Amino acid sequence: MESVVKINDPKYPALLKEVKDPPEKLYYKGDWDSVLFEKCLTVVGSRRMTSYGKQIANKLVSEIAGAGITIVSGFMYGIDATAHQAALEAGGRTIAVMPCGIEIIHPEYQESLYKKILANRGLIISEYEGTFPPALWTYPRRNRIMAGLSMATLVVEAGLKSGSLITAELAKKFKRKLFAVPGPLTSTFSQGTLQLIKEGAEMVISAREVLQSYGLKISKLTLSHRVGGIGSVSTRFSTLNKLEQSIIEKLQQEPMEIDALSRSTEVSASQMGTALSLMQLKGVLFKEEGKYYVK
Amino acid sequence: MLSKVTSASNLGLETIPIDVEVNLADRGLPAFEIVGLPSKAVDESKERVKTAIVNSRIRFPTRRITVNLAPADVPKEGSFYDLPIAMGILSLTMQCKLPESSLFFGELSLEGTLRHTRGALLLALFAKEKGIKNIFVPKPSANEAAIIKGVNVYPVESLNQLLAYLLGEIPLAPAQYQETKGTQTYIEPEFDMAEILGQEQAKRAMEISAGGGHNLFMIGSPGAGKTMMARALPGILPLLAEKESLEVTKVYSASGRIPPQGSVIKIRPFRAPHHTISAAGLIGGGTNPQPGEVSLAHRGVLFLDEFNEFPRSVLEALRQPMEDGHLTISRSRKRASFPSRFILIASANPCPCGYLHHPARACLCSRREIEKYRKRVSGPILDRIDLHVEVPVVDVKEFSREPGLKKPTELSPQIRLRVIKAREIQSERFIEEGIHTNAEMKNKQIKKYCSLSKETKQVLLAAVSSFKLSARSYFKMIKVARTIADLEGYQEITIAHMAEALQYRPKIHVED
Repeated sequence: MESVVKINDPKYPALLKEVKDPPEKLYYKGDWDSVLFEKCLTVVGSRRMTSYGKQIANKLVSEIAGAGITIVSGFMYGIDATAHQAALEAGGRTIAVMPCGIEIIHPEYQESLYKKILANRGLIISEYEGTFPPALWTYPRRNRIMAGLSMATLVVEAGLKSGSLITAELAKKFKRKLFAVPGPLTSTFSQGTLQLIKEGAEMVISAREVLQSYGLKISKLTLSHRVGGIGSVSTRFSTLNKLEQSIIEKLQQEPMEIDALSRSTEVSASQMGTALSLMQLKGVLFKEEGKYYVK
Repeated sequence: MLSKVTSASNLGLETIPIDVEVNLADRGLPAFEIVGLPSKAVDESKERVKTAIVNSRIRFPTRRITVNLAPADVPKEGSFYDLPIAMGILSLTMQCKLPESSLFFGELSLEGTLRHTRGALLLALFAKEKGIKNIFVPKPSANEAAIIKGVNVYPVESLNQLLAYLLGEIPLAPAQYQETKGTQTYIEPEFDMAEILGQEQAKRAMEISAGGGHNLFMIGSPGAGKTMMARALPGILPLLAEKESLEVTKVYSASGRIPPQGSVIKIRPFRAPHHTISAAGLIGGGTNPQPGEVSLAHRGVLFLDEFNEFPRSVLEALRQPMEDGHLTISRSRKRASFPSRFILIASANPCPCGYLHHPARACLCSRREIEKYRKRVSGPILDRIDLHVEVPVVDVKEFSREPGLKKPTELSPQIRLRVIKAREIQSERFIEEGIHTNAEMKNKQIKKYCSLSKETKQVLLAAVSSFKLSARSYFKMIKVARTIADLEGYQEITIAHMAEALQYRPKIHVED
């Protein structure tokens, strides 16, 4: 299934040609569909994303991909993988730009994601052939393809001096739109994105800003099937008992660890453990990095 | 002229009778020989015996002395043959008759006094078992032996004193058992549970661990308080029951860890070996097999800090003793069995740098590094750990800022009362099973003693599918739920107990 598109091929993505140093050849896996390149958004972010980054990447990407925009990312673990995954779950299509030959699944434990991207009419592309191994220098080179393929780039979480910032700088150089997600001043992984916002990148507080720049609106469908954490104790939670209700209220303000929850509700760790287990089984909560979140 | 003195030798926790035969030959040049496979320590006994006798101002016979340690084909170790050999010689030269049905045991100093000798308790137990009436042991070792009723334990101070007693010149009363250091009913532990700020769930896990003898795995960043918590555990454990206390003291006596004048151990041992320990150090070993940390932690706590830093081979060696509660050390010439029923408290960092999910510091590890780090502990080991708990970093400032959070929490003695009650319920339950705690239950016993109502089982089954629990974890959750119910004095395992138990399920995945 390995195929190649050369720079003089009419199928070659037009936006990528505008780049200063476009790749001569693009190797790809999957069915080349030029529609895929019409409206692309590149999503980048830290490999060591925080649970906040994961939550936001999930929410934004699923709404954006749900509206029909192709999500381009780098197949790394962290924000990249979350973006691909969220796009697939929203029924969207996604392109993974590899830092190595397209035959290499890197990182190899993401094999199922690799297959899912292809199964959902997505693409795996790279300027490197076959089993070309990833190297330190291939990552920044690859980033110019990511920035070049899309009209806009969205940075979810990035530390200072991170690879995500390289992609962001390239997007600026190519005169593409740059979006950045704000985050707490205390988080190392928001330093990069905050810096970008300060320097003039558009701050994203919902998928709307991104979609507007593509002249699109959030489809009602995607809104209804993915509910964000925002909103009061809705009817969804009305069957819960008093303790469970107050847990939901606390968690909607801020995700918390069991110990903090037990202190703030003045309930023993034993009772709190019981409540949290049952709520998790009911599918009302989920746990990540030791903290509980409302689903 | 021939005399025969009886003694006994300890190998591991086993004791075998040894006959010490001493012959003073009428012919031949003066000499002193020991036969019967003596080790270096036994062979050197000659010099100690000779000098001790001379320094006790008793004439040492200038004749050919032959000592035979029988059975002659068993290698002899240790210094306790000094006293029987000396008594063999003296009974011949001083014409004193040795009492019937007696064992002699002890190491001599050059001045003729007796030194503290390891294994006196085992000797007393052996004497009782064989119906031997008297044992003569060094005075510093007499107390630990005197716990055994029905055997006269004579505390011997010096050769002169013993000789005078045997010749009927002075009286010597058998030692009376006295409780000394280490036997108080409650020893102040290093930390009280109430001193630990926050960590409500981890503290609860400690209570469950103590309540049912469950192994516990704590994962948390440096400074989260894992070590402090482990060290507070002895404070909520019940004292050793009489039978348990003897089991523990036997191990400590056999390895020479009972101090002079020491009595039996009543407090549960707490062992915390460093991660550079060898497999033999942990499990036990040596040509003359010695108990390792697992046996020294018998009926107590084995705390392995930085669990992932232990060499894999060392950790794997834990499997059998954890499963069976005892182990046999086999060497080419000797083998010895030791008990090893302990609570394992393991603690580890979440990643190599230690700061994964830390609220204030960035983790520098790649996902691959983290997975590699976690894989250092094998599945079979993790499978033998019932309780898994995360220990988050506590913001101490938060507690000093909001005095309301500093409400007095439960003190260790209060928690201990619940633990004691739960353990009483368990010993009654397992009276016919030969086990003590819920953690020791095998699947068959789980089925027998932990019947689940339909609703409770539904919760567990739902958890199996949504938390992807293994079959082994399924049974572990039931055991933990059983202990939680016992702590609350419930006969039935309710949904609440089961749901709480699920909190302590294994957290295998990095994301979990």
